[in-house]
Amino acid sequence: MKAKVIGLLVTLSILAPLLAGASTRTSEKPAQGRVRFAPVHVYLDSGDRPLAAYQFELKAQTGQIKIVGVEGGEHPAFQEAPYYDPAALMNDRIIIAAFSTGTDLPQGRTRVATVHLQILGDAEPQYELKLIVAADKEGEEIPADLNLQTGESK
Amino acid sequence: MKKSIAVSIAVSIVFLGLAVALTALCLSSFSCQQTSPSARRQAEPVSPPPSAAQAQIEREIALEKQRVLAEQAEAQRETVAQSLERAKACFQRQEYGMALGLLQMLLPLDPQNSEALELKQRVEDMIALRRQSGLPADQPAPPLATRLGPPDEAHTPYADEITYPKGWKEARTRDSSSAPAPAGQPGQDMMGGMGGYGGMGGYGGAIGGMSRPGSGPRGYDPSVNYGWVEVTDSIPKARGSDLPLVTRRRVPVSGLPSSTNFDGRDAGRIPADLLSVCEDEIWVIVRETPQAPRAPGVNYDTPGSGAMLVQIQEKKVPLPLKHTDVKGKVSGYIATVEVVQQFQNPFSEKIEAVYVFPLPDNAAVNEFIMVIGDRRIRGIIRERQEAEQIYIEARRQGYVASLLTQERPNIFTQKVANIEPGKQIDVHIKYFNTLAYADGWYEFTFPMVVGPRFNPPCSTDGVGAVGRGHTGLSGQATEVQYLRPNERSGHDISLAVDLDAGVKIEEIASSSHAIDKRRAGSEKLHVQLSPLDNIPNKDFVLRFRVAGETIKSALVTHRDERGGFFTLMLYPPQGLQCVKRVPMEMVFVLDCSGSMNGQPIAKSKGAVKRALRKLGPDDTFQVVRFSDSASQFGSGPVAATAENVRKALAYVDSLEGEGGTMMIEGIKAALGFPHDRRRLRLVSFMTDGYIGNEAEILGEIHQRLGEARIFSFGIGSSVNRYLLDRMAKLGKGAVAYIGLNDNSTEAVDNFYDCISHPALTDVQIDWGKMEVSEVYPRRLPDLFVGRPIILTGRFAGTTHTTIRVAGWVGGSEKEIRIPVEFDRSAPTHPGLACVWARQRIEDLATRTAYDMNPNLPGEIKQVALQYGLMSAYTAFLAVDSSRTTQGDHGVTVAVPVPEGVRYDTTVQD
Repeated sequence: MKAKVIGLLVTLSILAPLLAGASTRTSEKPAQGRVRFAPVHVYLDSGDRPLAAYQFELKAQTGQIKIVGVEGGEHPAFQEAPYYDPAALMNDRIIIAAFSTGTDLPQGRTRVATVHLQILGDAEPQYELKLIVAADKEGEEIPADLNLQTGESK
Repeated sequence: MKKSIAVSIAVSIVFLGLAVALTALCLSSFSCQQTSPSARRQAEPVSPPPSAAQAQIEREIALEKQRVLAEQAEAQRETVAQSLERAKACFQRQEYGMALGLLQMLLPLDPQNSEALELKQRVEDMIALRRQSGLPADQPAPPLATRLGPPDEAHTPYADEITYPKGWKEARTRDSSSAPAPAGQPGQDMMGGMGGYGGMGGYGGAIGGMSRPGSGPRGYDPSVNYGWVEVTDSIPKARGSDLPLVTRRRVPVSGLPSSTNFDGRDAGRIPADLLSVCEDEIWVIVRETPQAPRAPGVNYDTPGSGAMLVQIQEKKVPLPLKHTDVKGKVSGYIATVEVVQQFQNPFSEKIEAVYVFPLPDNAAVNEFIMVIGDRRIRGIIRERQEAEQIYIEARRQGYVASLLTQERPNIFTQKVANIEPGKQIDVHIKYFNTLAYADGWYEFTFPMVVGPRFNPPCSTDGVGAVGRGHTGLSGQATEVQYLRPNERSGHDISLAVDLDAGVKIEEIASSSHAIDKRRAGSEKLHVQLSPLDNIPNKDFVLRFRVAGETIKSALVTHRDERGGFFTLMLYPPQGLQCVKRVPMEMVFVLDCSGSMNGQPIAKSKGAVKRALRKLGPDDTFQVVRFSDSASQFGSGPVAATAENVRKALAYVDSLEGEGGTMMIEGIKAALGFPHDRRRLRLVSFMTDGYIGNEAEILGEIHQRLGEARIFSFGIGSSVNRYLLDRMAKLGKGAVAYIGLNDNSTEAVDNFYDCISHPALTDVQIDWGKMEVSEVYPRRLPDLFVGRPIILTGRFAGTTHTTIRVAGWVGGSEKEIRIPVEFDRSAPTHPGLACVWARQRIEDLATRTAYDMNPNLPGEIKQVALQYGLMSAYTAFLAVDSSRTTQGDHGVTVAVPVPEGVRYDTTVQD
């Protein structure tokens, strides 16, 4: 009997740190699911061609981000908050488009939009950014590079 | 030993003697006090006259007393000054409880100290703010990183030409030579007593506006309430403009017609004897003496009662909603409206602004932008619950965020979190809606305030009405806070509408507001709200009449990648006007609740009495009243004999407005008794619709309607149009609105014109070669004379065809043919997709009132998300994730009760 009791105590003493560790991990679980907010700045480089219109698609691994706002770009031609496709939003992606009919159009690399996101978890999401089209004021498609920058700095 | 005893005895005797002597002295003194005044007067000459030395001594004593008193007064002043400084310091440190205690201590010493009074108001407001936030009064807020200066205030338009609604009646001018007010009752004293409101929304200083309808005696009458408008030399300028808000030439006067004929018969002119009015004259605008009884000591003249008066003693309440700007564009019968709400933090700590506000119940809200400085963040449509969770998290983490939710199809809640002190955040909302059309007039409506609703006992999902600062008192899911009768905020509204009717605009009128209008061609018109009428306490109603024949059965289309959308205005056939109606069974249902007290019930009774007099000999009628319960004129419908009508008129006269709004009892009473099948049963509801259980009411109507038709009359300045419209739609009838400035007789006559001819019933439509689907309303209503219906649907293909509309009038079939063309010349409108989606959402939402199908909410959500629209299950959300702020407090925007509605009978306080 005494041996059984001693055995039980030994077992408990061995399991206690594990249980404590398990408990700690449980309490840390919400930290893994931490909710934070951060912007993603989208830049478009149209080279020496003036940019009059663009459309791009942004998405990330499902469940990691939620789009909570769309802001315009730095150049006056694209300062107005761009439109998004609500139907695309239902499929966890966002399609953003804007155009300008003005004569003062940006050239080279310019921030065309800022997408405000709610991000689940600490890990930085892997974004997938796809340029659908960029066009000049005649409506002709022009070659352009699209990339993004995360964080609060623009 | 003996010696000591003897000494003790001697001492005792001495003390005893002294005690006796003292007692005698006291008794003597008491007897002197009991002496009669005459005896005292007789005794006075006995005293010897004071000598010069004695007089000198007395003077010195008096001077000394004066000096002491002066010192005491000086000390008191110092105490007051020190306390005031301490109170200011406490206020700066945000120790509001301590500050209030100090102010309460010093104000009895110096009750007229204006600085202290002003500070006390600010302290009380901050305490109320903290109470709303669930915070103690003395907890300092964390330091703030940044503070900005005041925002740009340039937005108030300048009135160029003003048209006045009916009921704006000028009484007289008052100058030094005519009928001065009796002594003791001049302007400012009266202003203070009346508790009116600055007509310029707090920006105009001494400039006031006009009171609302009424007429009065030409001379001064102390029994009449006067609103005083003082026009001084210092005419205020519009914010950000060099132009004055008021000019002598445009000083509003009455007697002007509410409408202007564009054939050169513009009668809106100031009488000649008023054109020479000087700027320093005082204008007196007479108000009707209210019919409702008034509690002593309480002033019920609120912004809601239309009194736009200069007020000296009124309390300004700092609130975060500073201004609302509305810009509408009407193309044909479709309106595109952009609403900008400017939120500013007037407090010394960060706040969350919560504002419950109305929009038209058929508004398809599809755009939401949050503006912070020059940054514009477009809001995202999301499932409501998800959006709320994101908003709460963003608010908790200190991000500036805004959330727009729909509580009812015509009631929305705007929340803006983390507005820092001194900063401004604007919210832009855009919507489309179709205009109502009746009896030759289109109607553009913009509601400005949610009326105080009554909620049945035990309900929790209604719309509560509470006094400012009493968050949660109503226990309802949605709650509107109302300013008290002697309070006002700086919130004002500007509104402009560009009309492009597509055909000649023949006439335009606003029965609710003073408007400024400018023509831009025979088909186009620019209309804007007069700055004199910028308190948002009633619906803005603009009616315009276009050239009659050309509007019939207009078709508007739109195509995009989602397909084709159309709206068709279906006009009843002309032939109906030649056919006489069948006998009627008229049921008049009067809302006699507290919110109807005063002008609304007077209008309501007038309308019913007019209708009673127009009954035919073959008709029967019943009158039902409801408030907390329902009762009726007779046990059943009675014949419309002269005697019965006379009794009914007396019965209607006896009705008063008080108690709750148990409309469900009125529905049961009106639709519950057996129907005489030889007659057409028409049920007329006269109500403001101020209830929070709309779904229950609509469900009851659906269940009990039978073969009856419902005609709902909205009575009041800011009625629940969602409820009244849906009642009429469910009841296959029509709706009409009678504002406080409208003529109820005219409305009833129009109603009788409408029902005096049979409707086209059992309407069927053959769309010809149009490939039409998902047309709303799903069940076509009857077509009444003068009341077209608007159909909205989807279509495919492009072809020329003829639409055939068939129905029955009495026993014979009628048909209308409408040729349609889908060529490039056909009118289009980009908002039609949203209008159609909104109609589909409305159809599904109405079904939820009586259909237990669990898939309906999911369908609504699906449509709303696909088309990016507001609904009960979706919400717009915008978060600025680029920076965080500190603190977490909340304050709710309080609004005035609607014009004509009494605070004391409708608001929980």
